Amino acid sequence: MRFLRQHRGLVPYLLLAPGILWLLLFYVAPGIVMLGSSFWEGSLERGYAFSLENYTNYTNALSRFQPHFVRSIEYAGIATLLTLLIAYPLAYGIAFRGGRFKNLLLFMVIAPFFTSFLLRTISWQIILGDQGIVLGPIKEAGLLDNNFAIISTPFAVIAGITYNFLPFMTLPIYVSLEKIDIRLIEAAQDLYASRSNAFRRITLPLSLPGVFAGSLLTFIPAMGDFVNAELLGNPQTTMIGNVIQNQFLTQNNYPTASAISFLLMAGILIAVAVYARLLGTEELTSGGV
Amino acid sequence: MATATVTARRGPSVIARIGRFLDRYLLLIYTGLAVLYLMLPVIVIAVFSFNDPAGRTNFTWQAFTLDSWLEPFKIAGLGDSVFVSLVLALGSTLVATALGTLIAIGLARYQFRGRAATNFFIFLPMATPEIVLGASLLTLYVSIGSPPFFPLGFVTLLIAHIMFNISYVVVTVRARLAGFPIHLEEAAMDLGATPWTTFWKVTFPLILPGVTAAALLAFSLSIDDFVITYFTGGTTTQTFPMFIYAKNRIGIPPEVNVIGTAIFVVAVGLVALSVLVQRRRLGR
Amino acid sequence: MSDQEPLQQPIPRRQFLAGASLAGFAAFLAACGTQGTQSQPPTAGPPATSGPPATTGPTAAPTPPPSPSAELNFANWTFYLDPDPEDETKFTTLEDFRAEFGTQVNYQEVIDDNDSFMGTIQPQLQAGQDTGWDIIVVTDWMAARIIRLGWAEQMDLGNMPNVTANLQDAYKGVSWDSTDDHHVPWQSGMTGLGFDRESTGDLTSVRELFDLKYRGQIDYLTEMRDTIGLTMLHLGADPAAATRADCDAAIAEITRVQNEGMNANFRGNAYARDLTRGDVVLSMAWSGDMVAALPDNPNLGFAVPSEGGMLWTDNCIIPKGAQNKYTAELMIDYVYRPEVAARIAAYVNYITPVKGAAEILIASDPEMANNPLIFPPEDVLARLHIFVGLSEDDEAYFDEQFATVLGL
Repeated sequence: MRFLRQHRGLVPYLLLAPGILWLLLFYVAPGIVMLGSSFWEGSLERGYAFSLENYTNYTNALSRFQPHFVRSIEYAGIATLLTLLIAYPLAYGIAFRGGRFKNLLLFMVIAPFFTSFLLRTISWQIILGDQGIVLGPIKEAGLLDNNFAIISTPFAVIAGITYNFLPFMTLPIYVSLEKIDIRLIEAAQDLYASRSNAFRRITLPLSLPGVFAGSLLTFIPAMGDFVNAELLGNPQTTMIGNVIQNQFLTQNNYPTASAISFLLMAGILIAVAVYARLLGTEELTSGGV
Repeated sequence: MATATVTARRGPSVIARIGRFLDRYLLLIYTGLAVLYLMLPVIVIAVFSFNDPAGRTNFTWQAFTLDSWLEPFKIAGLGDSVFVSLVLALGSTLVATALGTLIAIGLARYQFRGRAATNFFIFLPMATPEIVLGASLLTLYVSIGSPPFFPLGFVTLLIAHIMFNISYVVVTVRARLAGFPIHLEEAAMDLGATPWTTFWKVTFPLILPGVTAAALLAFSLSIDDFVITYFTGGTTTQTFPMFIYAKNRIGIPPEVNVIGTAIFVVAVGLVALSVLVQRRRLGR
Repeated sequence: MSDQEPLQQPIPRRQFLAGASLAGFAAFLAACGTQGTQSQPPTAGPPATSGPPATTGPTAAPTPPPSPSAELNFANWTFYLDPDPEDETKFTTLEDFRAEFGTQVNYQEVIDDNDSFMGTIQPQLQAGQDTGWDIIVVTDWMAARIIRLGWAEQMDLGNMPNVTANLQDAYKGVSWDSTDDHHVPWQSGMTGLGFDRESTGDLTSVRELFDLKYRGQIDYLTEMRDTIGLTMLHLGADPAAATRADCDAAIAEITRVQNEGMNANFRGNAYARDLTRGDVVLSMAWSGDMVAALPDNPNLGFAVPSEGGMLWTDNCIIPKGAQNKYTAELMIDYVYRPEVAARIAAYVNYITPVKGAAEILIASDPEMANNPLIFPPEDVLARLHIFVGLSEDDEAYFDEQFATVLGL
């Protein structure tokens, strides 16, 4: 104890040490190993050889899987936009009109996530199935052609991603909206601002940090998602996550798989770094707002 | 004789009335619809847990039965996978909460060199797609020579779960630590308490809600995790999500719906309980 | 329904003690005496032990018969073993096995896909360690690869009399297992057309799979050999002699039909679920699944196309480094008892490779035994093809080409 008192400066480092060590060992080290393996050449059976000349793993992966990268950005981007469009009014409603029920409503937004994420996505398969609860009766009524399908389309994949990440967008926006001092809005209205003007000039800008946080928390995982594409999509909707899964676990093609993963991670890290610069790193762990 | 154009002021027009109605209730209606949308799959899961499918696929309503609820663990492997999931979640929650809370305290209370970098560093795992987290761990496990230090199984899973949980714990606890009344600690120490006593008698009880919230978050993240488990679990250890994934190829039996619904009900119940307890304590 | 092995006569206690002490004494002498390679006394011991008597030659040191281990780790596909009708968490075959040999079988239905399962054990096999499994069941081409890479244990057929006696001749002498003792067939199946009669009528030709009138309502298989095999049959080629050119042609055909709007999905086992739910009305299908799905959708039908279908076999393999090799051999041999094989076949609805199972099935359930899916008639068998065994390079080529139609 006296040691600690004498070396006050060490205390934060000691507090941080175990957790940081764990992350170093099991987040950073694997990343480094994966970086290394992305420069391998060979196969599991023949063995691997490391060589910096194997940067071609990256260029080959980029050219071969470029459609998948683009598609992932597309789907994740559209899904993030959709999520934003759905979540913003929802968060607004809870923050400004929730009243006594704020916490309850918030809870009901999160509650579905106590069921398994897989089960929920599979549940959408059943709901949107060709002869399922929704389409079955409509088709039987003759309103739709029998060939019409929602499952196995890009629409279904995007819908799935949107659904799965809705709370991730709603919560940060809610937090930032809730922090807004309502007197600011009242003041604006006292100064003859219309409701929409007040929203546009006061509420919206103040909620932007939440929007940014929510967007990142949605876009980033969505980029790497493969479950929605696998369960709700078809071979033309495969995302880069499906490729990574296939390369790692089925093809056992570690060099290519690592290269692709790293390309994905690098791109995202750049985005996060830009975001961190824009907002300052303090914001990141103090609640994301 | 011109028709009088000056009419007595009637009440607001229909359009205005609709406008005002919408204005007052639109958001609430929308919120209700949105919550319904969020709950829809859960409702379907719960309803189909009472289904009695003729064959293996549980997708159209056939008959009502309580059989699945009465004996949910009849399906081979289901009980084991739930058990593994629970143990895994418990273990990773305990360790991650401990490690994460320490980091959160360090970050929140102290100024030190590398603080900004640490902030950024803690955020990184949350910003990394799960697939990259799982894949890189897999690469690590596979690269360690023979005999492997990490044969894929429960241990590799536990390590992975702890790893991704730490960041979430830090963020959650830190959010609660903002505005922490440090003067209380100083007062305690002025009154002669050692730092150790101060921590356990003053600090810890105050941060307990935050730590509990973080633990709950870590637990639910771990129980539901699929992607990272898929990559680092190997084939001999099956968690509940892995079990579902495997069963989905043929058809999810209603017993799985039962477990899913049960987890939901238990979780909701626990939260409701904690809210009630808090309300009581605060005397509301 | 289990036979009693000759060695399992219950032995009265006094005799047992006498015998054991004599045996122990003999073992002690043996251990003191010579090379000391034996650690277990050969014994005519407790009823739970079984196995062939120790083989001794005039010059060889006596080999003690091993005893079954306490645990066995068995990985298999889903719905490949018969659950106990009284308790779905247990499997009759495994319960009976435990009653006879005392082994608790850790049976896990974790294999959904040859490739993905292999992907999980390959690193250990490569590093020469125990994969954690004593028995795995993989399709013939994967078995061929495992054996080619030296990752399969050579089984001691002396421990497996039922296999030797009851394996049907059609399965013997495969090119990829020259000594026929690195694998033992588990079940065979056919790949053909699976369809919903109500929507499509009875289909008989493989041409239907490429007919755009099923656009948006059709599944192909993720198993490369099945999909390319059937496509080759459609193009008039023979899958048993597939070349890279054939592969290119098949891929081109699939790509063409996809580009024209077929919008086919590629599935593993899940195609049966799609058919049942009505998401598709036609699919490349595996024979057993269609029978199993009938309770869900009584309109489902299966047909081996007139141009031909694929025949494949799933095989038991003991991975290298398995800890309970002897017990694994016992397990595999156990399911080759005709009455056990019959019971399994009745549940899984695939073609059993065990002689004598048919007769037992007929006796217990006449309907089942005349089912052309479980016991296909000669003319059907004649037009089934087994996909050629590919070399490593060819396999990589085929897989890579096929990955493009999978969207990966």
